[in-house]
Parts: sequence; C-alpha cells; structure tokens
Amino acid sequence: MEAANDGRVAVQLSSVTRHYQMGASVIRAVDDISLAISRDEFVALLGASGSGKSTLLNLIAGLDRPTSGAIVVNGRDLSAMASEELARYRRETVGMIFQSFNLVASMSLAENVELPMRFAETPKDGRAERIRQALERVHLGGRLHHRPSELSGGEQQRGAIARALVNNPTLLLADEPTGNLDSRTGNEIMELLREVNASGVTVVMVTHEQALADKYAQRAIHMADGKLVEQAEVRQ
Amino acid sequence: MKSYDLFDLASRNLRNSKLRNSLTTVGIAVGVASLVAMLSLGIGLQSMATSRIRKSGVFDIVFVTSKQDVRGMRARMQDTDEANARVLDDAARKELEQLPNVAEVTPDIHVVAEVGYGDKSRMTVVAGLPMSEGTTDAFDKLQGKFFSNNDADEAVLEEDFAKRLDPNPANLLGKEIVLRYAERQQGDAGASDSQGTGGGFSVTRKEQTLTVVGINSEEPFTGGGPGAHGQVYIPIGTAERLNMMQPFDARAMVRGDVTGKTYNMLRVRVRDSGQVEQVQNAIKKMGFAAFSVIDALNGLRRFFAIFDAFLGIFGSLALAVASLAIINTLVMAVLERRREIGIMKALGASDIDVKKLFFAEAAVMGIVGGAAGVLFGWLMGRIINFGTGLYMTRMKMAHVDVWYVPWWLIVGAIGFSVLVSLIAGLYPAARAAKLDPIQALRYE
Ligand SMILES: Nc1ncnc2c1ncn2[C@@H]1O[C@H](COP(=O)(O)OP(=O)(O)OP(=O)(O)O)[C@@H](O)[C@H]1O
Ligand SMILES: [Mg+2]
Repeated sequence: MEAANDGRVAVQLSSVTRHYQMGASVIRAVDDISLAISRDEFVALLGASGSGKSTLLNLIAGLDRPTSGAIVVNGRDLSAMASEELARYRRETVGMIFQSFNLVASMSLAENVELPMRFAETPKDGRAERIRQALERVHLGGRLHHRPSELSGGEQQRGAIARALVNNPTLLLADEPTGNLDSRTGNEIMELLREVNASGVTVVMVTHEQALADKYAQRAIHMADGKLVEQAEVRQ
Repeated sequence: MKSYDLFDLASRNLRNSKLRNSLTTVGIAVGVASLVAMLSLGIGLQSMATSRIRKSGVFDIVFVTSKQDVRGMRARMQDTDEANARVLDDAARKELEQLPNVAEVTPDIHVVAEVGYGDKSRMTVVAGLPMSEGTTDAFDKLQGKFFSNNDADEAVLEEDFAKRLDPNPANLLGKEIVLRYAERQQGDAGASDSQGTGGGFSVTRKEQTLTVVGINSEEPFTGGGPGAHGQVYIPIGTAERLNMMQPFDARAMVRGDVTGKTYNMLRVRVRDSGQVEQVQNAIKKMGFAAFSVIDALNGLRRFFAIFDAFLGIFGSLALAVASLAIINTLVMAVLERRREIGIMKALGASDIDVKKLFFAEAAVMGIVGGAAGVLFGWLMGRIINFGTGLYMTRMKMAHVDVWYVPWWLIVGAIGFSVLVSLIAGLYPAARAAKLDPIQALRYE
C-alpha cells in the first residue's frame, strides 16, 4: 500500500486472495499476498508445484479476478475494471508467454505475431514492418512464414516472445518459459528475457529452477500454499 | 477488432476445416434454394394470374346484381329484409346510367343456344358484348373485324368453337350461321298490363341468321361464374333485341316473383379505371351488389399472400435444418479451438471480440451459402421455365414464365440466410465468449 502512488512501482498487490470453492472445502490458491514490483524489475516467482504461482501470475495478467484484495498496475486497479477494459489492459500493457509456447498451430509465425495487433486495432499498413522487427529481435527474421510445427521448441518460444512484445507492453509475464526446453535453449530464452528487461520492460517469471532465478532475476519471491514465504534480493 | 480483421480471421478459420464448413455451407445453400424456389414459384403464379386479368381490359367495369339474387334464398329463409332487396330492372338501369363517371350500362346476356352452319349444328353459349369491348386486349388477336354496330346481325366466334364448325376457322369469315334460341315473351296479358303481377312469360323457339365477321383466339373477361365465357359473341344491342331467355329467367319464374323485365346482371363501364371504387360504392349505396376486377385482384392478392406464406414456411424448413448444422459446426469449432480461444484472450481479445469472431464465421457461411443458394434456385427456375416453355409451345399456348425471381427476393434470401446463420451462431458464440482462458490454456 505504501508504494501505491510511487511512480517507481509497476505492480502493487494488496492482500490479494484467490480461493476456489471445491464442494465443501475451499482451496486457497493465493492467500493474502501483498507485494510491490518496481518498474524495470526482473522478478522470479519460485515455489513447489501447486503453491499458487500460476494463479498469482494470471491475476496480475488480468485473466483472472481476485476473490479479495487489490491489484494495481501502473496506478490502475484491475478489480475495478469491466471485462472490456481488462481485455484492453491485457493487449496494451501485458505480454504473456507460457511453458507450452501456445502459438496458434494453424497460423504462420508472422500471423501469430500479427494476432495481438488485430485485437489492438493497429492500422494495417504498419503491421508487416512491426512483425519483421519483432521477429528479428528474437533472431527469427528468416522464419516469418513457417508454421509452429516446423520450428524447434526454443524457436517457438522465441516466436511467442516476439508475439508478446509486438504491442510494446510494459509488463512481461512468463509462466515457466523454459519448462519444456533443455538447459542450453532455456538459457537462450533467459538471455532474451534479460534483453527485454534491459529495454525497460518489467518481467515477472514463474520458474521451478532456483538456478535460473539466481542467474537472471533481480529478486526471487518464494511461495508456498498460496502465501509468500521469503523474498530475497538476488543481486546488486 | 476491426471488421476486416474479423472477417479475415473468420474466413481463415473456416478454411482450416474446409470439408466440414463446406458441407454446412452447402446445407445452407440448399435451404436458401428451396426457399427461393418456393417463393418465386408463388410470385410467378401470382403474376401469371393477375396479368391474365389485367390483359382482359375490364378494369373499368363494375358488375351489378340484385342482392336478392346473391343471397335471396337464404334471406328469404331467415326472413331478413334482403328478401325485399331492390330488383335490377329498367328503372335501376336508368338510375345507374345517371351516376357520375358512368360511361355505359349494358346487360349481361349469356344464353345457351344452338348454332347451325351448313348441315352442322352445335350447342354453345352465346354472349352479348358492348361495342366498347372491341378495343380491349381480349380482341388483340381477332381475325377479321369486330361488330360494325351495336345492332348488327353479326357474330364473332371463339376459335375453339369455330373449329367445331370448320376445321379451318378462317373459312367461316363472311359466312352465315343460324342461331336457334328460346325467346322470352313478356306476359301475354298485353302491353297495358306490363307490370301485371304473376303475369309470367311464355317461351318460343326462334331463329336468327348472323354473319360471322371475326374469329377470336382469346377469351374476353365477362364477369365470372360458371358458363360465363361465351363461345359466340353478338352485339349487346342485337342480344337485347332478340329477347333471348336466360337461365336466370327460368329461376325467377320458378320462384314466382317475376314483376316485369329484370336483369340478371348489369355491366357498368366507368369512364376511368381510377373511379371504379367510387362508382362501386355509389352502386352499393343504391342497394345493389357490386363487384369489380379490383375486388378480384384484391381477393387474389389475399389468396397469394397466404399461399406465399405457406410456400415460405415449407421453403424455410430446409433452412431451419441447415441452421442446426451451423450450430453443430460452430459448437464443434468452439470445442476444438478451446486453446486458441484461450490464447486470443490472453493476447488481449475481449469476450465481445471472440463472440464477434464466431458470428463472423456464421455470417460468412450465411453469405456464401445464401449466394450459392440463390444462384442454385435461380438456375432451377430457369430450367423449370424452359421446361414449361417447351410444353406450352407444344400445347400452342402463349409462353408465360411460371417462375419469377425478383431482385428483392435475391437480396432478401441472402439477408435471411445471414440472419438465420447469425441466430444459429448465438449459442456457439456465447459459449466461446464465456470460455475461461485459464482453463483453456492449462496444458494437457
Ligand atoms: N480452477 C481451479 N479450481 C480448483 N482449484 C484450482 C483451480 N486452479 C488452480 N487450482 C488449485 O490452486 C492451487 C494453485 O494452482 P497453481 O496452478 O497456481 O499452482 P502452480 O504453483 O502454478 O503449480 P505448478 O508449478 O504445478 O504449475 C492448486 O492446488 C490447484 O489445484
Ligand atoms: Mg503453474
């Protein structure tokens, strides 16, 4: 709360909970979490399977709504937004990447990257150039017309990063982006995320691997049973 | 989302499952074709029927009868005042002639008579026609000429009847035929007592020689009713002079209420067809039953409205089935594309965008199916017109298109097809829109 009006704060969570009602029992997937993430920060979210990392990330992404608490991103409270506004927030402010890449299989790489621009109603003229730039940034400039099935896992994830960044978001949310990749390819992706972060984008990344968090993140946040257990400043 | 993106995405999604979507679209096309087929058949039949009446050129005629004749029997049984309705006599005829905008009042005369030609004699219906009838479309195809005057001992024969007298009807022109008929002689009590009650009349067999001046191949419209069409026409003046007994006279005599010369029906010709309704109303106010072709057209229009509605309902059945196919196809698409919908939402598509996308897919199927259906229905109509055309030429009938597809039906059918598709898309689109992206994206 204390940092809510601080221009340096990108994401402010205040007593955020997300409960699932399963019959008679309540699953507290996210349980009373308060947390501030600064602009340009690279945060790693760690924790055991089922600890609530993805749930928390989806709440920040505006794909899900908290049971209680406030999520303020760039000074705007997500819980006060209508679903249309939330969609607008997702396409303008947030970029997302996933463990399983989630490229649309029936579309070429270029078409996948064009998709967020369609939702953002970006004029048609500028799109081709922006697609090219976004794919060059992830070193896929020569693969515009390839289908996801014709690409390796690492290439697919780089394509997904290009797609996530094409609308110039200020917040990149990554849910185990290296989970399906070998460690060498995983490191390539992490290098890319570091570059993205260096260009001024706040990155929140869910991971299982302490080593990756140690190497790339500025701060590691540990979760267990929906709660924060420990926050560690990784470096500097 | 902008509409070009919407339709771009929609059509590429449709292309991704080509077979399934083409089959659904063909289903819509068949539905639309059957609708177009049914409705254009209705429209074609309607324009055929109305053009026949229009052609007869009797738009400016009001047929007048006594209410007593129309409902006399029933009225008498129920003892209402219709039994005492005005009779259509000479006084009434004079009064009708005095009405504004009335050009001419002539009696309707139709009698069964025998026509002799050489050694042949044939029973037929003889009708009297006013001179004004000669200028209507009904006598467009007249061989020879129309009557020289209203009292001439001349006849125009229907071609069909003429053939019964001579295989080559043209031979009859200028020849004489003998008309044998029953003459009605007013009450023998004498002229002094022409109003005589219960005087009745007597009937004598008579003959009249007539010269054939014309052969006609089209029937004039003479007022409807069984036996209304004549086969031999004579000038109305001649018909009145001959005093032929009509079926109506026999009925009146049996009924016993003959009170002098009355008319079965009078034809009131109005100066301008625009005044028909007004004259008709004036006549009704006088206490007579009045009927005009305008009534017939209105009745016909009402009939066809109902007829077309029925055809429309049957035609729509196939489209209703097609709409179920759309629902099925789109629901399957929603299930198959769960993950894709989740991705789109994660990338910033709103619920409304997702909904619109599925509507757009339904609309594209509706437009393509509708256009193909209209084309299909139109082709079917061409074939049917061609077929009936062949048949009609063989039967030596004038060619008429029984099938008619007006432009509004084309536009309407495609519009209706899109509308039905959109309605069919309601449920799948709503289902796609409310899909939870987190569930959809959860890796399997
Ligand atoms: N839709 C749901 N209904 C009920 N319970 C749910 C639902 N989604 C998540 N949960 C529960 O919430 C808890 C947190 O789930 P979450 O997916 O956030 O964990 P996670 O930390 O991302 O785990 P992993 O590392 O395996 O991805 C789990 O116990 C899960 O079973
Ligand atoms: Mg997870």
